[in-house]
Amino acid sequence: MTVLAFQPNVRQPDGSWRSGEIKTIVQSITPALGSGAGGGWEVGATERGDPQFYLLAPPPHEECVLCISRVGNIYVLEDGAGQVLFEHNSLALLAEQARSVLQKKTAQIVARAALIWCTVRQTFEEKLEAVMGESEELLAHVVPQLAAFA
Amino acid sequence: MARRIQFVRKTPAAKELRRKAGTWLKELRARAGLSQIELAEQLNLKYYTFVAQVENGFGRVPTESMEAWGRALGMEPSAFARRLLSYYDPELHRLLFEVKE
Repeated sequence: MTVLAFQPNVRQPDGSWRSGEIKTIVQSITPALGSGAGGGWEVGATERGDPQFYLLAPPPHEECVLCISRVGNIYVLEDGAGQVLFEHNSLALLAEQARSVLQKKTAQIVARAALIWCTVRQTFEEKLEAVMGESEELLAHVVPQLAAFA
Repeated sequence: MARRIQFVRKTPAAKELRRKAGTWLKELRARAGLSQIELAEQLNLKYYTFVAQVENGFGRVPTESMEAWGRALGMEPSAFARRLLSYYDPELHRLLFEVKE
């Protein structure tokens, strides 16, 4: 009996993404780029030549928010602190996961902005109320005196 | 005329400093004779990709793993953390270690 040796379907890492892979990843992060959760992206590679894709925070810090790497046949999604968020051999599934992580980040940004807006508005209203109250009190005090002079 | 108070010191861009930190970390690792995979194993990381992310200047060594990272690279942890702080937060480093009483 002859046993045929099949080559495993593992690409040799050369540090580069295929155009289809980049397209899938960029599609998943595009909404984040418009919403402030991301500021841009760059690609790089490990010393072994496994390609990496970095989603960066907006300027001035521009640090990695999410990192997607291809290690052998596995795609790995990590956050900027090295926590593995998802790993799978399907890039489409991983991109979906990345999109959902970024949606949560965007929601957090929106919630924070809304909270800041409400705080500023309330503070402004309180200050305005105090100033208006003082003016009314002053008016109530001065008007009878003016009337007496007239 | 009112004088404007300047709070921002002119420091190199955060991105550039992170890149310098990454280069320094890469040199230290090479001196320690470790590959990225071996370092990741010592740091108990599931994948070695985070080491590459940091060395390429896109990420930072998290504070909680500075001690282990420093020891793995053969450095005394406080000296390691101090050097990293000079890259990651140069203004804090200046206040803590450069400004005299």
